[in-house]
Amino acid sequence: MTEARSETWLAPSVPVLLIAVLIIAGAEVGGASMVKFKLELARWARGTMLARPDTHGLVGVRDVDEQILDEALVKFDAGLRLFHMHAEGMGTIIIVSTMVATTLVRAGAFRRAIVLLITVGGAGYPLGYLLWSALIPFYGIERGKTLAEWMVWIPFGGAAIVALWMLAGALALRLVRR
Amino acid sequence: MTSGRRDATVGHPLGAGPVRRPPLVLVFVAVLMIALGETAGAVLSQLRPQTERYARARVKANASVHGLVGAADYDAEVTSRAVFTAEAGLSFMHTHAEGLGPVILLAGTLAATAVPWRRMRAILYALFTLGALFPLGYLVYAVAVLEAGRDEGTALAEQYVLTPLGSAVILALVGLVMALGRGRSRAA
Repeated sequence: MTEARSETWLAPSVPVLLIAVLIIAGAEVGGASMVKFKLELARWARGTMLARPDTHGLVGVRDVDEQILDEALVKFDAGLRLFHMHAEGMGTIIIVSTMVATTLVRAGAFRRAIVLLITVGGAGYPLGYLLWSALIPFYGIERGKTLAEWMVWIPFGGAAIVALWMLAGALALRLVRR
Repeated sequence: MTSGRRDATVGHPLGAGPVRRPPLVLVFVAVLMIALGETAGAVLSQLRPQTERYARARVKANASVHGLVGAADYDAEVTSRAVFTAEAGLSFMHTHAEGLGPVILLAGTLAATAVPWRRMRAILYALFTLGALFPLGYLVYAVAVLEAGRDEGTALAEQYVLTPLGSAVILALVGLVMALGRGRSRAA
């Protein structure tokens, strides 16, 4: 890549942009759905939890059970909110960071690895919050969190973090070599 | 606007030519902030017990600045408030770094593409690069709260890091708006 060419931004590939825009659109739809279907979602989560008293430690005493259900519903709602926020943020970060990598990382294989890891990691990570919310009524707060952590947050979030540090390292090297 | 010589190759409306990138150092600092923001989020989530243990130990080690008196109930409440504030600092760093990194890249790109005056661009780049470091102020905030006490630490971070760096971003954004407006009126 010539210096003159790298003076202007190069757009990432269309699939990368498509994934980023999809995740942002998903976040918007998620945010709107949270508001529009708040009652229906809460009712479904509550019903699912009441059908699994052992999982949630429900004892049949109203005062105790309501407290447990309320806490689980707060976390259920928080998972949906965190999906909304993280998907909006990660979509944007996928676009800007892959644009930086496409423009400024010279080594082809390294550049492709960064773009792939940021795109897959960044797009997958927010879905972990959606998964957590969906798992809470079935498995409880902590078990749901552990599952989401190992299935989504650690692998996908880890990929995005590694890729961003690879990108920062490549830029630092380029700065030093100038 | 008299900030240096007008560059004939820059200053076109967006969409009327290539989108130029800001200097490498600005891009590097913005990407570094995004990487730090991501990492801070992971630390907050995965290492929360260790972070809390460390924070509690630092409050105990700096008992006098936190006003611990040896009464268990009172000390526990003071410690919890200090730990909560330090964790909030890390959380703010996570959100601000993730948000400000892309903003700085976008604003730097606007300056590179649409501001026709070389000296003005240089000033904007300098301010944006400095301002991109703003989220680090929250890391300072988190550490200062533990080391200097909640109120004193907050004041230190605000006075010496958050306010100057935040002001740099605000100044740069105001300068960018003015430069874009001036460039547009000249073009017309």
